[in-house]
Amino acid sequence: MDYKYIEQLLESYFACTTTLQEEQILRSFFSQEDVPGHLAQYTDLFNYEASAKEDTLGENFDERMMALIGGQQTTDNGKGKRRQRATAPRIIKLATRHFAPFFKAAAVVAMALTIGRAAEHAIGEQEAEENSNVIAIDPYIKSSDVRQAIRVKDVSQAETKAINDSIISLNTEGEIQ
Amino acid sequence: MDFKHDILPLKNIIFRTALRIALNREEAEDIVQDTLMKLWERRNELEKVENLEAFALTMARNLAIDRKEKMDNQHVSFDDEEHDRPDEGTGNADNTLMRTETRSFIADTINTLPEKQRTILQLRDIEGKTYREIAEVLSISESDVKVTLFRARNELKEKILQKKSLFL
Repeated sequence: MDYKYIEQLLESYFACTTTLQEEQILRSFFSQEDVPGHLAQYTDLFNYEASAKEDTLGENFDERMMALIGGQQTTDNGKGKRRQRATAPRIIKLATRHFAPFFKAAAVVAMALTIGRAAEHAIGEQEAEENSNVIAIDPYIKSSDVRQAIRVKDVSQAETKAINDSIISLNTEGEIQ
Repeated sequence: MDFKHDILPLKNIIFRTALRIALNREEAEDIVQDTLMKLWERRNELEKVENLEAFALTMARNLAIDRKEKMDNQHVSFDDEEHDRPDEGTGNADNTLMRTETRSFIADTINTLPEKQRTILQLRDIEGKTYREIAEVLSISESDVKVTLFRARNELKEKILQKKSLFL
């Protein structure tokens, strides 16, 4: 197996040139069970980084905190500017409730249209593919070791997107927000 | 400004950051309470604050550092935190315990770094903050954040490699 991509990311990590997304890829990679021997020494580091965020205050903290705040008002509605902001979500909620059936109908129509067009498109593409005998390649996935990184357990869609994004920006320096 | 919705949700990130500085859960919890109280007392100023979380973390860090300095003056024995940390698993490690031991080895190693290094490592590698946000919390430049993070990560790497060679 080739782990060049991960090795490269590790090197960048210790050089502090990885983006937040790339650091997330490392944590995802090391969360899998079969990390190869030469990389295993870093498993605990990245697993610790991932798990330390779960350390939270006890359940009764809020209660004690609210008691401390106690006598004081906990909502500051004294000023007009603030009141305005507070009511905005309510208006949206009302609108949503009233128009919900229309939204639903619109969504159904949109879905039907999309599926129809997608099907047409797919059929067209299939024919084109058969004619030219070309294998479809996901343009974002460039090498086998990248696939390796994606093979990680529990990689959510968001993470997969992050992986793709970071591959695109592999050669771009700097921070990606 | 609503306490429950705007201020209270910051409690856990403040807690973890304070814990990384104070290295004591009770102390960290006190720091969270103090920070949230102060934020609430200053709620009228908070309108102007662009990044409330960064503002809160700066406050918590300053409180944590102040309290630690006071404690250190009271108890001379706490003077050098480097000396009262647990042994780094050099003893006879039971195989079943290996995993949890190495996990706390990472925590112990991070906690022996200088305060600035471990706070930056906490904010970047555990909280996932950008260099810009971290610079704001610590009131330093982004390049200073990177240099300090570089030292922290490489110190960790060195300790990991040292430990590995001990077990081989």
